[in-house]
Order: sequence, then structure tokens, then C-alpha cells
Amino acid sequence: MSSHTPLLVLKDVHVEVEGKEVVAGVSLTINAGETHAIMGPNGSGKSSLSNALMGHPSYKITRGDVSLAGRSILAMSADERSRAGLFLAFQYPLAIPGVTVANFMRTALMAHRGKDADMSDFRKLFKAEMAALSIDEKFATRYVNDGFSGGEKKRIEILQLSMLQPKMAILDETDSGLDIDALKTVSQGINRFHNKSNGILLVTHYQRLLDYVKPDFVHVMMSGQFVKSGGAELALKLEDLGYDWVSEENGGKVTVK
Amino acid sequence: MTPLEYTIDNLPEGLTEGPQWLSDKRRQLRLSFNDKPLPRRGAHLWRYTDPGKFVPNSSATAPVTASPSLAQIESELFGLLEKKHLAAVVVDKCGQTATIRMSDELGKAGVVILPLEKAAQSHTPLVEPHLYQLINSEFGKFEALNGALWQSGVFVYIPDKTTISLPIHLVRDAGTAASQVFPRLLIVAGKNAEATIIDEYTGGPSDISSGAGMSHGAVELFAGADSRVRYLCLQRQAGGMNSYLTCRARIDSGAQMVTIPLALGANLSKQNFGVILNGKGADSRIFGLAFGSQYQQFDNHTLHHHAAGSTTSNIDFKVVLADKATSAYTGLIRIDHSAKGCQAYQENRNLLLNPGTRAETIPELEILNEDVSCTHGATVGPIDPMQVFYLQCRGIDYDTAERLIVAGFLEKTLQIVPGDLRERVSSLIRTRLEAM
Repeated sequence: MSSHTPLLVLKDVHVEVEGKEVVAGVSLTINAGETHAIMGPNGSGKSSLSNALMGHPSYKITRGDVSLAGRSILAMSADERSRAGLFLAFQYPLAIPGVTVANFMRTALMAHRGKDADMSDFRKLFKAEMAALSIDEKFATRYVNDGFSGGEKKRIEILQLSMLQPKMAILDETDSGLDIDALKTVSQGINRFHNKSNGILLVTHYQRLLDYVKPDFVHVMMSGQFVKSGGAELALKLEDLGYDWVSEENGGKVTVK
Repeated sequence: MTPLEYTIDNLPEGLTEGPQWLSDKRRQLRLSFNDKPLPRRGAHLWRYTDPGKFVPNSSATAPVTASPSLAQIESELFGLLEKKHLAAVVVDKCGQTATIRMSDELGKAGVVILPLEKAAQSHTPLVEPHLYQLINSEFGKFEALNGALWQSGVFVYIPDKTTISLPIHLVRDAGTAASQVFPRLLIVAGKNAEATIIDEYTGGPSDISSGAGMSHGAVELFAGADSRVRYLCLQRQAGGMNSYLTCRARIDSGAQMVTIPLALGANLSKQNFGVILNGKGADSRIFGLAFGSQYQQFDNHTLHHHAAGSTTSNIDFKVVLADKATSAYTGLIRIDHSAKGCQAYQENRNLLLNPGTRAETIPELEILNEDVSCTHGATVGPIDPMQVFYLQCRGIDYDTAERLIVAGFLEKTLQIVPGDLRERVSSLIRTRLEAM
């Protein structure tokens, strides 16, 4: 990959769920070092897009192309996409009863590094990342998301992000269900992860996460399309005027299907 | 004579040894076996298994050659005994000779571990009041069969107020040929005694191409007041075995019993584990596991019989099936009219890894008074594809994700398995999962 190759390129991406088109042709380019935010009301297709990008079996990309660091990922399974450097923080992380957070993280990291990789640094790395996210050490031996609060689950998502160090991180509604302290910790985790060589795509309904994680670009999604793009100021304007403002500005161009 | 008309015409020589009362019992049970009709297909506990599969072949004999892996298990167990990880080891080679070794401490504490027929002679006051009390001719045809024909029986006695912190480990080997074995075990734990007994069943032909090997086992266990007894039954016989086992425990007031039935092996495995809560404050927990692949068939039954008030019971029975394996689980909770203030819980969860598998779960409740709390739950289904997707999103491939989820499903049960055995059982399951 040359330094000019964008990290993530979406070209006219269409997504279907159970035969219904929920994303109707979106294009987007994210370069290394950039943070983009997709904002939109409920049902606008932003979570569908995130899931489809990661390879969720129920969300089919029916048209267009997605490339990660110059390589199309459409033919890849979710685990291949992950190992290629894509990450999705779940809006609703799944519980895996009986599997400890430590075992899960070790297995995931080993999958990224390869079967014969040296894992002797795992404990140290794991402990340091947990401490940085103010996650109590006892979570290492608890079962993944089993009985965790909303805030605990989101912290564990960010722990995975910082352990796996993907090229491109999609964070789906990571702010939902967080109180203000948890929001700050999680935001700090995201900011600590972010550097010149990786990219972030925040998917959110509300502006509040964007107070802590500053986007370079904001895209407004409605009815499966990007209807407006701009800088961080666009998010603030949405906060003041709501999504109706964009809808009206588009004067019926956007219709709910 | 068709196989289904099999009768025991005479007790084999050698089984007439021992005290007169024992020979009399055996003869009585022989007649009882001959008299009893074969269970009707479809009768209670026979809805999913053909009783004909457990009728002995009249030409089959006791096995003569121990299974190839027995020597290794034996030396491992003797090693663990020397390292003081086990309190005693009993090795039963195809129902013929039982090697019994136990630590000096056990002998000093008055613990008795003997071949059952010898104990019947030397420790009559301990054996006679217990043997055949829970599993006898009234129980069923196959229980009468074991009652008449058992060989290589083992007797374990733990005196009152005696704590044996290390496990007593028995291995019952069914040999290599399509032959038949009739293991029997009698455990008597005194008041306030504490012990862990591991009862491992191995061996048998590797497939049923030249006929199935057969194993008819019976285990009777008595736990005195305030005792704490753990009984673990590991059935990992070879794929050519039809395995039948009945286990009954009677526990007195304040006793705490944990039963851990782990069924991994055999072609057809039918097991019946029951605990009778016989005194106030008795508590029984069953952590069961059946893991099947290929064409393995499991038929498991559990019973919690609350015969006394203020008793508690809990069952967590897990089943994992792959390929074309099937399982039926029937769990009965019986609470007597006089047994007030009881609590009983029963859960059976079935994880189906392939579309060709099938699992039945049948909860049965016989509750004869209203002052009880009794609940049950059951699930049957495949792995949640969303769990797999979540793990895949972290770079873990599909097969590894599936193995991780299955291991997680079994984790709680494996945590109950005593240390050295836990690693062995985990690795047996891991190997099976990796081979899929």
C-alpha cells in the first residue's frame, strides 16, 4: 500500500436485508489518520452499513465495492476482514458464556498474529490495556459480556480495539448506554488508539460522542443514502436543528422507502 | 432361540462363590431375569431406545484381552497415586481381575476397598444390608441381569467422620472383543464422611461391524447423615459398545451429594442416575454431560426423589451433538406427599452442531404436595450464529469460534470435575471437536 492509498473506499454500496434494500448507494473515502462520522436518525441504514462492511451474514452487499487498503474485501469472510485490519465495535456485543475475556482476547490476538506467533507478551499487554481503560482485573476471568452492564460491554469492545490495533475501526453506536464517566473513558480509549496510520468511522445518532472524539468529516445518512457531508460543524448544526432540517433542505429528494 | 429369548440357564461357575446369602440372591435374580419380559419398546424410558440392543448374545463370553490403552491409563493412575493426587486406584481388567491399590493413610483410617464378593464374605455386616437394596429385581429386567451375573464387583466403605480429600479412582475395562461385562459397585459412606469416587468405563470393540460389545453396570451408593460424597461416572467406552448403567444413591439427612455423569463414548449409551433424598436437609446436585458424534446414541435419565422434607436438588444436564448423533434426556423430579418445603431445579440444554443431530428433552414432575418450589427448563438448538459472527469479527475463524463456544457451553460442568481428570476430559473433548 502506498501512503496515498486510502484506508477504506466505498463505491456505490448497496445493502439488502431479507430482500429489502436498506442502503441505496453510498460512496466514501477514508484516508489514514482521518476520523469520519456517519450520523442519522433511527432506521436510516447506518448500522446496516456497518454490519455489511464487516461481513454480517444477514446484510448482503448487492452492488458496489468496498476496499480496505486497496484490496476488495467483498469476497472475504468476517474473520478474514478482521485479520485484514477491519474492526467493528458492536452496538450490542454478544455474550459468550463459559469463555473468559482473557481466553477470548488471547485467541483473537493469536488469530491475528498467526498460529506459531510468540504470545509471551500477552499477559503484560492485556493487563496494561485493561488498566488504561479502567477495567478491573477481575474481568479477565469473567465470561465475555455475560451479565456485563452496557458500559462494561462497551469498555470491553474498546479493549478489543486497542489489543487488536486494526487499520480501520468502525464504531457502531459506541456511545449508547454510557453514562458520562463511561463515555469519557471510552472516548479516551478511542483517542489513544487513533494515530496517523489508522482510520475511524463513528456511527452515531447523537452528537455527544463527537464532543470527545473529534471527527474530520461528518456524513448525514437518511433513507440509506448520504444526504449531506461536511466538517465537524455539521454535527453541531444537527444537534441544534435536528434531522428535519436536512430533510427539508433536500426538499423531498430523500424519501423513505 | 432368538436373541430376544435369551435366558440365564445356570450361573457361571465362579459366580457361585462367596457367602450363601449372596449365592441365594444371585439365583433369585437369575430367575427374576428369566421371568421378566423384555421392556416394551415405547414403555417409560424406552421410547427412544430399542431394549433388544441390550439383550446379551448367548454365545458371547467375558472378554479376555484388555484394551490396548488400559496399560497406559493404569500406569498414569498408579503414578497419580504415588504423587498423592489419588487416594486409591482400582483397575478392573475386562471383568476378571481387580487390582486394588490404596494409600497407607486410607488403610489406617479404616477405609475398605475390596472386590465385592470378598467383602460380602469378610465384611458381611457392611455389605449385606446395602447390596441390592437400591437396585434389585423389582427395578427392571436388565438390573436383574446385572444382579445375577455381576463380576469384578467393587466395594468401597468410608467410615463415619472420615474425610478422604483425594479421589478414589476406578477403571472398568471392557476388553477388545464383542464380549460382555457386568461391573457392579457398592459405595457406603458413613455419617459425616467425605469422599470423591471416580468411576471410569473404558474399552470394547472399536465399532459394531463384528457385533456390539455389551456392558451392564450397576452402582449403589449410600451416603450417611451429613456426609459429602462426589461420584463421577466417566463413560468413554469404544464405539462398538452398547452400554447400560443404572446408578442409585440414597442420601441421609444433611448429606450433600454431587453426581457427575459424563457420557462421551459407546455406540449406544443408556444411563439412569437417581438420587433419593432420604433425610431432612439432604442436598443433591447432578452435573451431567453427554457429548456425541458420528452415529452415537444417548439415552439418559435422571431422578431426584425427595422422600424427606426440606431437601434440595439441582440438575444441570448438558448435551452436545455432532454429525448424526442423537440424545434423549428424561428428567424426573418426584416429591413425596410428606416431603414439605423442598426445592428442586432441573435444566437440560442441548447444543446441536449439525442438522443431522436430534435431541429430545422430557421433563417429568411428580409432585405430591404443594409446599415446594420446583422449576425446570430446557433448550434444544444450534449454536447462535451471532455468537459465531462476533468471534469472527475478532479474526477467529469459523471452526475455532465454534469450538470456543462449545467449550464455553461445557465450562461450568468441567469446572466441577476434579483437577487431574478435568484436563484429561477437556482434552478428550477438544480432540473430538478438532476431528470434526
